[in-house]
Amino acid sequence: MSDFLLELSKNPRARSLIGALGLPIPLPQPLKRERGPWAARPLADARIGIGAASGAELVPALAEAVTAAGADAFIQLPESLAAAFRAPGETFGRPAKKLDSLAEGTKLDALVFDASGVRDIKGLRAVYEFFQPLVSKLARSSRVVILGRAPEGPDAEAAAVQAALDGFVRSVAKEIGRLGATANLIIVTRGAERRLGPVVRFFLSARSAFVSAQPVVLTARAKAIDEPAFVRPLEKKIALVTGAARGIGEATAHALALEGAHVVCLDRPGDDGPTSQLARAIGGTALSVDMGDDDAAAKISAALAPLGGIDIIVNNAGITRDKTLGRMKPEQWDSVLGINLAAVIHTTAALEPLLRDNGRVVCLSSIAGLAGNIGQAAYAASKAGIVGFVRATAERLADRGITANAIAPGFIETRMTAAIPIAIREAGRRLSALGQGGLPEDVAQAIVFLSSPGAQGITGRTLRVCGGAFIGA
Amino acid sequence: MATDKKNGRRAVVVSGVRTPFVKSFTDFTKLDTIALGVAAVTGLLKKSGLRHSDIEAMIWGGVILPTTSPNLAREIALDVRLDPSCEGYTVTRACASGLQAITNAVSAIERGDNDVIIAGGSDSTSNASITLPSKVVHAIAPLALGGKASAADYLGVLSQLMPISEILPRQPKIAERSTGEVMGESAERMAKRNEISRQAQDEFAVRSHHRAAAAIAAGRFDDEIVPVQTPSGKWVHADGLVRADTSVERLAKLRPVFAKDGTLTAGNSSALTDGAAAVLLMSEEKAKAMGLKPLATISAWSYVGVDPADQLLMGPALAIPKALDRAGLKLADVDFVDMHEAFAAQVLSVLKMMASAPFARARLGRDSAVGEVDPAKLNVHGGSLALGHPFGATGARMVTTMANELARTGKQSAVLGLCAAGGLGAAAVLEAIN
Repeated sequence: MSDFLLELSKNPRARSLIGALGLPIPLPQPLKRERGPWAARPLADARIGIGAASGAELVPALAEAVTAAGADAFIQLPESLAAAFRAPGETFGRPAKKLDSLAEGTKLDALVFDASGVRDIKGLRAVYEFFQPLVSKLARSSRVVILGRAPEGPDAEAAAVQAALDGFVRSVAKEIGRLGATANLIIVTRGAERRLGPVVRFFLSARSAFVSAQPVVLTARAKAIDEPAFVRPLEKKIALVTGAARGIGEATAHALALEGAHVVCLDRPGDDGPTSQLARAIGGTALSVDMGDDDAAAKISAALAPLGGIDIIVNNAGITRDKTLGRMKPEQWDSVLGINLAAVIHTTAALEPLLRDNGRVVCLSSIAGLAGNIGQAAYAASKAGIVGFVRATAERLADRGITANAIAPGFIETRMTAAIPIAIREAGRRLSALGQGGLPEDVAQAIVFLSSPGAQGITGRTLRVCGGAFIGA
Repeated sequence: MATDKKNGRRAVVVSGVRTPFVKSFTDFTKLDTIALGVAAVTGLLKKSGLRHSDIEAMIWGGVILPTTSPNLAREIALDVRLDPSCEGYTVTRACASGLQAITNAVSAIERGDNDVIIAGGSDSTSNASITLPSKVVHAIAPLALGGKASAADYLGVLSQLMPISEILPRQPKIAERSTGEVMGESAERMAKRNEISRQAQDEFAVRSHHRAAAAIAAGRFDDEIVPVQTPSGKWVHADGLVRADTSVERLAKLRPVFAKDGTLTAGNSSALTDGAAAVLLMSEEKAKAMGLKPLATISAWSYVGVDPADQLLMGPALAIPKALDRAGLKLADVDFVDMHEAFAAQVLSVLKMMASAPFARARLGRDSAVGEVDPAKLNVHGGSLALGHPFGATGARMVTTMANELARTGKQSAVLGLCAAGGLGAAAVLEAIN
C-alpha cells in the first residue's frame, strides 16, 4: 500500500499549494537514500559543520573519518583542536574551512558535535550554543551526530550531563524529522576511539536514512581487527539470511550480495519459488527449511557445513499471531515464541561451530518488543527476548572478534504492515519523527552496516530502524 | 616491474622528433591524425638516417581515433611506405597514450621481441568526428542496413526520432564518461580543494610560455621539430601557441571558463592542439652495431588509477614516486622533472601533494613527503600550457625533449609525469647512458 502523503509530497506543485493554503496536512520529506554498493567516499562534497566542547577527545578520529569519506569540514573549533584537520585536509585535498566562512544561505548536510569533554552543566551549554544558531541551516535529509563519552567513575554531574545528551538528541530528531533529517548520539567508551570512523561514516551517510533519535554505544569489547574495508566490505564472506523470500529478508540478501557476500537464502519450503529466484538473481544459494520444525537448526548446519564456515548470520524469519492476551491460544503463543525466539537461539547455537572469527550475528527484534503493543504480548515477548539473547551472545563471542546485535525495525512498508487496518497503519507512519514508514532496504542497510568489518565497536546492542518512532509492528 | 633485465637487453632512445604543435582549427585543420603521424615518422626517419626496412614495428598512441581506421600505427606505417612486414598497433590511454606507446616499445625490445621500433602518438582535435546519438543510429538502422523498407517503416522511424533535441549530432566534449564532468571542471575543483590561487596559476602559465619562448629563441627545439607542409602548400615550421610576450597582468584579464567564480582561464589551461611526435627506440646492441649514439634509457615507469569523481588529475602524485622507487631514485636525485601541464592548477595541486608528509603517509604508505620540486628543474623548456597538447603526442614530446636534455647537458636523470582522463596517472624515469 503506497503512502499517499509521501507521494503527494514528492509533487512540488502540490507541496507549494498545500504550503500556500496553509492546509494542516503533514507532508513527509522524501528521504535521500543510497542504492548502489558502498563507495570509497560516501560523503563526497558534503558540507559538515563541526564543533566541540572543551576537553573533546574525539576530534582527531572525527577529522580523519569525515575527510577521508570525502566531506568538506566547516569547523568551529579552538586552534588546538582544529589542528587535527590539517593532515587529513592535506592528504585528501580538503582543507577544513571556518564555519563562519560559510556563505549566507548555504545549507549544511550535517552537524557533528564532539561532546566527549562535557563534564558539567556549564559544558552542556556548549551543545546548546553550537546547535541553536545552526539548526536552521540544516539541509533536507541532513544529519546531526553528537559524540558522547560513557561516564566513568563516581562523578554524578558528569554522568548526568552525558545522559542529558540522549534526551537532547531525541528531541532534535523530532524537530528536524520534517526535513527528512536524523539525529543520533554515538557514545564512545574509552579504548574504542579508533572504531569511531566507520560508524560516523554510516550515521552521516544516506544509508542511515531511517535510523534516528537514539544512542549507539561503541566499545572495545569485541577483539580488534585490521583496517576495515569500505568498498566491497563483505567480499569473500558467507552469509545466511532466514526469511529471505520477501520483505526485509529479501532486501537484506540483495544488500549483502551487493557488498560481495555469498548469501544463503533460507525460507519455508512453501516459498521455494521466490527463494530460489532470489538466490539465482544474487548468485547465492537457496535453502528450504521450515523454522518451525524441531530439527530446523540441525538441517541448517548440515546444509552449511560443506561451505566450510559462515561469517554472517541474519536471523530474520519471524511471524505474528496477534491476539489480546485473554484470547490468545497456547498454540499461538508457542508458534510465535518457537519461530521468533527459540529457533533463533537454536540456529545460532547450531551454527556457532561454523562461525568464523570476526563473524557477525544480527537478529531481528522489533519496536513492538521494545515498546509493547496491544495484541502483541507473544510477539513483543519474543522480540524483546532477542535483545537479551544478543547481549549474552555478544559477551560470549567477543574474544573471537564476533559481534552480535539486534535490529529493531519500526513501521516498515512490507506485506505484513500493509495488512494492518488503515487507521493504525497511518498512525504508525506519521508518529515517527520522519513522518513516514521506512522501506525494507532501510533495514537492510543497517544490517549490512552491522555485518561490516567497520562495525566492530558495536556489539550486544539493539539498533532501531524506526525513523524515530513510538510504535511499530 | 618496469623492465625485464633477465636477458640483459636494454632499450635506448636513439632519436625523437615532433611536428610543430598548432592550435586546432588553424594550420593543420586539413591534416588528420594519420597525416600528422606520417609527417613525424617521415621526419624521424630522415633525421636518424635509417632505411625504411630497418623499422620492425610501430606502436602509436592516440585519443581521438578515426572510427574507420583506428589502428593509426599500421595506417601511418603504410602511408610512410615502411616495409609491409613492419607490423603495428595502436594504444589509447588518454593523455598518457604517447608514453604508453613508448614504454610498450621498451618492453618489447627488452623482452627480445624487436630491435628497432618507432613509437609515438598524434591527435587532431580539428578532425574529431561529430557523432549521431545512438538513438538515431538504432532507429535508422533497419532502413539503412536492412534492405527493403515500406512507407510505414519510414513513418515508424520518424516517430522514434522525437524530440528533435535528442537526435541532433553531438558536439564532441572532453567529458568523463563516468561523471559527465568536463576535464576543466574537474581541474577547477582541484584548484579549489588544493587552494591553488588564480595568481599562482597565471604565474605558472606565464613561466611556461617564457621558458618555451626562450627555448625556441635559443634554437633548442630546432633538432626536435620537423617542418610540415599543409595541403595548401604552406610550410609550418614553428609551434603556434607559445606567447613570448604574455604576462601575469595580461592573463589576469581573462575570464574563468569552467565556473563563474572559477580560477581556470584559457590562459592557464592547455589549448586544443593538433600535432604528432615520434621516438626511435632500439636495443642497445643494435644501436651500437649501427653506429648510433643513444640519448637515454627509460629505466622505469608506472601507471596508476584514481577515482575520477575525486581528484581526476592527481595521478602523477602517485605515479611519480612509484616510478622513482622502481628506478631506485629519490626525487632529490633527479636533475629534471617534466610534468605534462594539462592545467596550471593540476600541476600545482600535484606538486603540493608531493610536498605533503600526511599525503605520503596516507596515500603512499611512506613516512616522509616525496619532496618539493625545485622550480629550476621543473619543465625547463615550458610545457603543454605554452606548447599545446595534442593528446596522444604529448608523452612522446616529453620523452624526446628530456632525452635530448640529458644528452646535451650530461646530466643523469629526468622524471616525467602525466595526468590522463579517467583518473589515470603516468610517470617514467629517463636516465643517461654512461
